[in-house]
Amino acid sequence: MPSVIYAPAYRKYSFGDEHPFSPVRTDMVLDLLGALGHRVETVEPEPATREDLLDVHEDAYVCRVEKLSAGAPVPDGQEYGLGTQDTPSFPGMDEAARWLVGGTLHGARLISEGRERRVLQLGGGLHHARRSVASGFCIYNDLAIAINSLTRNGLKVAYLDIDVHHGDGVQQILYEDPRVLTVSLHESGKYLFPGTGEIRELGSGAGRGLKLNLPLEPFTEGESYLEVLEQVTPAALRHFRPDVLVVQAGADAHFDDPLSDLMLTTRDYEAIFRRILAWADDFTAGRVLFTLGGGYSFRAAPRVWAILYLVMHDLPVVRDLPESWRKKWNGALDPKLPETFHDPNPSHADISNRYEIAHRNRQVAERLLDLTRQYWFQK
Amino acid sequence: MLVRDIMRSPAVAISADTMLQDAYRTMQERGIRHLPVVEGEKLVGVITDRDLRLATSALAPSPFPPGSRVSEVMTREPLTAEASDPVEDAARTMRERKIGCLPILDDGRVIGIVTGLDLLDALIRMTGVDKPSGRLEVRLPDHPGELARLTGFLSHRDLNVHSILTYPDGPDSVRTVLRIGSMEIRLLAEELRRAGFDVLWPPEKPCPR
Repeated sequence: MPSVIYAPAYRKYSFGDEHPFSPVRTDMVLDLLGALGHRVETVEPEPATREDLLDVHEDAYVCRVEKLSAGAPVPDGQEYGLGTQDTPSFPGMDEAARWLVGGTLHGARLISEGRERRVLQLGGGLHHARRSVASGFCIYNDLAIAINSLTRNGLKVAYLDIDVHHGDGVQQILYEDPRVLTVSLHESGKYLFPGTGEIRELGSGAGRGLKLNLPLEPFTEGESYLEVLEQVTPAALRHFRPDVLVVQAGADAHFDDPLSDLMLTTRDYEAIFRRILAWADDFTAGRVLFTLGGGYSFRAAPRVWAILYLVMHDLPVVRDLPESWRKKWNGALDPKLPETFHDPNPSHADISNRYEIAHRNRQVAERLLDLTRQYWFQK
Repeated sequence: MLVRDIMRSPAVAISADTMLQDAYRTMQERGIRHLPVVEGEKLVGVITDRDLRLATSALAPSPFPPGSRVSEVMTREPLTAEASDPVEDAARTMRERKIGCLPILDDGRVIGIVTGLDLLDALIRMTGVDKPSGRLEVRLPDHPGELARLTGFLSHRDLNVHSILTYPDGPDSVRTVLRIGSMEIRLLAEELRRAGFDVLWPPEKPCPR
């Protein structure tokens, strides 16, 4: 049985009711699974310690988060990305963020201690946070901290980031690390935040050739997404031979996401999750740690993450969403929650240039593999 | 952006009595294709790898031998620019006259050089991203105050603009491309549309069925 990590204190990571990164999304996942009749047993982690944070973050940065968290003024906060439109400060933010880090770290420890193979952390995935800059809703980088904990225990880590935004913080922190492969699929930075994630960003020093980026065309659909995912990921895993997968499972590449432009459906997500679990079986003896991430559609993200839970537990995805759940959460949603678990087929209007988009994505994937091969096979 | 921000300084220069073979070796060793030619401190010409190749080519009616002097082959009285010139002026000169470099002069003395590659670097810098940001593209009427209306809209929402590029789009409009430090450009685009702006990126998504 996979371990599911969650603490009610995760709810404190909230930038206010109007902010897209809402804890309500996780509430909806847990409630949906309950309404389907699944008893979700969760493991409660400890919040990360200050020491845990300093593994990745600068002391000066942590100090500023702590001050803002306590309600004290920090005149140079903006220089650290704090108190911005995207990442506003709020009372208790330090503790709230440490809970999320603690959860991901706990998942890493379960795996490195050999106590668990499949772990689902129902939170975290704060992949934009830098060593000393908050960015894109992310304060502390739970992923980099957990990955470091795994490598310190002698495990080689393959990090796969399917959030629609480039995993820039994780990549930057681990850019020279030869024990970590990173693969990020995202909407091209030419258009979307944060702007990075080009194929030429390949890592530096001993990490050269181990940081992979697949920037995708706006309006990429699932078929093309799965094709390039398949083109690149198994090849990279075969070369790198990791001991564990860490997956940032952002749900914001869904077509209903309000912040970005990819067109995945819930069926595409189910296929992606099944492929990742198969790769874990093939390459890492089943060891895989999933976190959540972006995903700002209340109609889509809870269903995507419930599917992740179900697939990880080898449970079926039923046809209809429970009426009680829809009633409870419809609230002010417009449009309302769908009646079925999966998106209808077809789910959205035709993308007129879908073949051109798929062609360009294929070419980017080929160029990426060409670039990496010279590093993979030089010895 | 001024020429001084993108020029290579100091420039590698040679004297007019240098032999072609030595000029060629200098280019090879330094990995460059353009050399200002000086007499004392005074600029008298420019010689490029193309000049050398054409002058010494076996296909030329009477090829110059390797020991010839640079002064016999160089372009005399070359076009130049000053460090305080805008980059776009330098680019226009090079494009119109179809030349690959401009020596940069200060009081008649060569203090640097700008080549086509330096202009490409400038383009990359002007359009590039070095801070986490998303893209917003708006078509504005080519009237006074329109850009201010747009940036005012952004500043009221406490949004930081990291870069802004504006160019003519039609007879009465300009296209403005901004990089803004925010994840929420799509939501911003909706607000801008409601306020009457012609937002080109991000476009509206194909509607769900």
